[in-house]
Amino acid sequence: MKIVIIGGTGLIGSNVTKKLRQLGHTVIAGSPSTGINALTGEGLSNALENTDVVVDLSNSPSFEDGPAIQFFETVGRNILSAELNAGVKHHVVLSIVGTHLMEGMGYMRAKKIQEDLVKSSGVPYTIVRSTQFQEFVPTIAAGGTQGSEVHVSKLDFQPIAAEEVALFIARFAISEPANGTVEIAGPVRGPMSKFVEAYVKTNDAGKTVIANDSNEYFGLAVPTSTLVPEGNAYLGETRFQEYLQSLSPQA
Amino acid sequence: MKQFSNLDQNSSNHTNLEWERQLLLDLGNDITKVRDKNDLIVLFSDRIKSLMHFTHTIVTLIDRKDETYKPFLLDHRASAIKDHPEYDDMVKACFPLDEPFIQSVVAAGGPVDFFLADIVDAPQSPAFLRVNFEKGIRHVLMTTLRTGDQPIGFIHIYTDQHDGFSQEFKDIVQRITPQLSSAVSNIIKNEEILQKENEKSFLLDFSNDMTAVRSRDDLAVVVKTALRKLNPEGGYVIRKINEDGLTMSAYLYDTGASAFDPALLERVLSEKYPINDGLQNRILDSYIPLLFNVGRELQRGYNLSYLNLWENMGFKTMVGIALRNGNANIGLLWLSIDEINIPILQGICSQIAIAMGNIMANEDILRRQAEQQLMLTFSNDITGVKSKSDLDHVVSNVLQGLFQTRIAVMYLLAEDQVTLRPYLFDRQFFQETEVAEHEEFYSLNINEQHIKLVFESNQPILLDIDETLEAKCLKLSIQREQRGINTVYASALRLGEQNLGMVWMLGERISGPLLQGICAQISTAVSNVLAHEQILRLKRELENENDYLKQQLNQDFEEIVGGGEAMQQVYRLISLVAESNSTVLLLGETGTGKELIAKAVHNASSRKEKLMIKVNCAAMPASLIESELFGHERGAFTGAVERRIGKFELANNSTLFLDEVGEMPLETQVKLLRVLQEKEMERVGGKTTIKLNVRIIAATNRDLEAEVKAGRFRSDLYYRLNVFPIKLPPLRDRREDIESLAGFFLSKFSKSIGKKTVKLSANALRQLQAYLWPGNVRELEHLIERSVILATGPMITEFFLPPATGATTEDPMRPSDLPLEEVERMHIIQILRRCGGKISGIGGAAEILGIPGNTLHSKMRKLGISKADYYAH
Repeated sequence: MKIVIIGGTGLIGSNVTKKLRQLGHTVIAGSPSTGINALTGEGLSNALENTDVVVDLSNSPSFEDGPAIQFFETVGRNILSAELNAGVKHHVVLSIVGTHLMEGMGYMRAKKIQEDLVKSSGVPYTIVRSTQFQEFVPTIAAGGTQGSEVHVSKLDFQPIAAEEVALFIARFAISEPANGTVEIAGPVRGPMSKFVEAYVKTNDAGKTVIANDSNEYFGLAVPTSTLVPEGNAYLGETRFQEYLQSLSPQA
Repeated sequence: MKQFSNLDQNSSNHTNLEWERQLLLDLGNDITKVRDKNDLIVLFSDRIKSLMHFTHTIVTLIDRKDETYKPFLLDHRASAIKDHPEYDDMVKACFPLDEPFIQSVVAAGGPVDFFLADIVDAPQSPAFLRVNFEKGIRHVLMTTLRTGDQPIGFIHIYTDQHDGFSQEFKDIVQRITPQLSSAVSNIIKNEEILQKENEKSFLLDFSNDMTAVRSRDDLAVVVKTALRKLNPEGGYVIRKINEDGLTMSAYLYDTGASAFDPALLERVLSEKYPINDGLQNRILDSYIPLLFNVGRELQRGYNLSYLNLWENMGFKTMVGIALRNGNANIGLLWLSIDEINIPILQGICSQIAIAMGNIMANEDILRRQAEQQLMLTFSNDITGVKSKSDLDHVVSNVLQGLFQTRIAVMYLLAEDQVTLRPYLFDRQFFQETEVAEHEEFYSLNINEQHIKLVFESNQPILLDIDETLEAKCLKLSIQREQRGINTVYASALRLGEQNLGMVWMLGERISGPLLQGICAQISTAVSNVLAHEQILRLKRELENENDYLKQQLNQDFEEIVGGGEAMQQVYRLISLVAESNSTVLLLGETGTGKELIAKAVHNASSRKEKLMIKVNCAAMPASLIESELFGHERGAFTGAVERRIGKFELANNSTLFLDEVGEMPLETQVKLLRVLQEKEMERVGGKTTIKLNVRIIAATNRDLEAEVKAGRFRSDLYYRLNVFPIKLPPLRDRREDIESLAGFFLSKFSKSIGKKTVKLSANALRQLQAYLWPGNVRELEHLIERSVILATGPMITEFFLPPATGATTEDPMRPSDLPLEEVERMHIIQILRRCGGKISGIGGAAEILGIPGNTLHSKMRKLGISKADYYAH
């Protein structure tokens, strides 16, 4: 199969590209650096010629409302119109669990728009909603740090290893289109504060994690179980502990 | 290798360094000279060939998009494999990075020498190794080119020597690799820059050319020139969204260098494609240009004639780009090209879209100008419309010019305010006489459902033609269906609030507001035409009436009834004198018709076109007659508050009829005389003399000679007036005319009071003839008028005439010395003559003589009066 990965040189994208190539597929890693720019459309139409599957892993360079919405909308339209034209048989897009519950956040609204565009495009699709990556926990910790204290909510949390996200994406890409949304998550669910605490303990022992009940995620108050799958999700096997071990120098 | 072997080991390092420096320098110089990227590899080969024998070198570049590498710089001249059948494939091929051979090259820190025989059959080894091996190549020296740490490509150096490459050579290659890497990346960068430059200058040129575009033809030339630069063989078509907003049609096109079926092209050009035909909507919905594979779209089952045409033309891939003005789609561009260059295509398309917008705006302006011109002409023309055919012509012209249509039918509202009758109609829909012959069938009722809609709306309305409309209202011939017209415009014609009628108009390009304006003008014109037709009709009526009245007037002249000898003499005199300007004096007893004769003279003269002015000299007080005749200036006397034109002046170039001239006061006679002599006059109180050309006809019933003798009439005036006297005979002297006169008056008065012409009995006629008629014709006229009014039956059998008294007859009783018997005899004969020989009974002589009929008989016998005496008249 010929598969085009939009955002194919990013963290997940390069990994998915590698995995699919290993499976013997012709994979085009699309990114502005390889001459495929989904935002401007450059190279897109040519790259999609005779393509069977497109995996959209593009990400907005900005998290601000306006630019993010514009990015996902433009990129979504461009990719989908080129796909329709090229007769692409499967469109896989990576999204975020709970997107529909966090429309107060511009970035989430943008992802929602992206999902809706896919749903209404007419191209067979699989929307893959993932929980936060384990690799994202340091960012959350940094976001909550105030002096020597790390304030973090006790929202349900079920982080997944980026490696496994790539694996799932690759699997979905070569499977039949779900024409719906599938969710992927890590193996363990717990309060967000627990994960942050584990991270802080191993990497920045001088700080104290203070859990709160504010149910806030990046400043947005959300229901407790917003960030975890609603139903049956595909679960990864890599535990958070393994990620923490990979971070320590002796690992 | 031989050269190296000659070198002494100690000095070799030094020399090598020197040489290497020189090589790098030369290479640096070479790079600056490189025009074609392949020159670099040729020059590089030439330089290092002096160091070592090898057959050829190539540079391959890594494509990170799909993790492959492919030939970039080729030495076609020296290539050992250029004759290999797979050479062309090799040049175009992409080789995966994900295999052991190339991975080992990347992993190595420097040049790696491979003995081809060892690796050529290894799993996943790239094909070019085998191809080279088959052409006698034995070793390949592979070196990774890097920018920073990132591998960007490889330099392959091939040799057919079995002993491969020396360590020194590898060292040198390793040392010059960074230089070569930067040269290659410079080439890439240069190529990119050059490409950007080309794009920019292309767009700049295009943009420059576009500024001069004013029309569709200009645009076609510029677009064609530009697209030819992108793809010299390629064709293109620009489609514009039609006014319906649902379809697109070709706007500009070029077939490029392709051969094609002209009939198919013709079909494609004339067709209107729905926007949502599956392909076009993809383009319009996309913000980026899309690449279409013609064959595949056909396979997908899109049955579109343009796809067939492209296949026929040999276009395999087409790029489709939406043309947008702002966010609004105005059309799209199809271009036969294999590659999408987004910046160029977007640049072109935005400019084309702007130019198209401008052209359309321009065309719109021109069209409006033309429309306005047409409307102006129409307005001008329609003011001159006086007849139905003018109206038809003018309205047809404007509708043809604006909407390529004509009025199918124009109806006018009949007086009942309900029926609409066909007034004008298009001949192509109806037979010439069809409508006129079946007016009832083609008439409409204003209360019919569709028609009601028309009159309820203030503007023209568009109706879909369905069967009811067709059957009940339109009633057009089969022509309509043949022309595929399915809608009809209908507009009421109104003048202010008043409904005049309505029109049907068939056409697709009709603009409502314009049509409304036209209909308003048509309404005015129709009402003008109708008014004009009415005026014409009234005018004709008036003319007829006028003719009749003129005839009546002429009959006045012909009222001179009577063919008797006396009258014949008068007629002769009239025709003698009429043509001349001589003064005529009419003499005759009262009631003999002097005025009638004066009119006859006037009407027989050359002055008949002007009115004859009549002055009755007897009817005016002596003090006023002067001002009446000559006029007066303002303030000439007390009460003369304004200027007054006298009868003389009025009669200038005409005839002045002075009736009863004998009654004129003496002092006026003097003035009259002067005017007659000098042919000029002054107004009373006036100073200026007015020249006159007046013909005088004077009339009197007096004996002017006697008046002159009596000193009551100036003799000089008498002689001046008595130039051509015409004496009118008294009625009693022209008894032969009495019958015709009586008949004439009878029919005249009977008609005027609306009776059937009353007739006279023979008895009554005899009575008339016996009467003496002191009042002459006037008396006869009045008698008959009275009798007609009084008559109860269709016949007047008797007149009530005043008894003949001696006093009434003005017969001069001359003193005579005849004996009584003779006088008696003569008197009886005279009376008998008057009575036409009737002796007794009504109108008989006995009645007049006041004796019984028997007495008269015996007297006649006694006096010897025989029939011969009174019939021998």
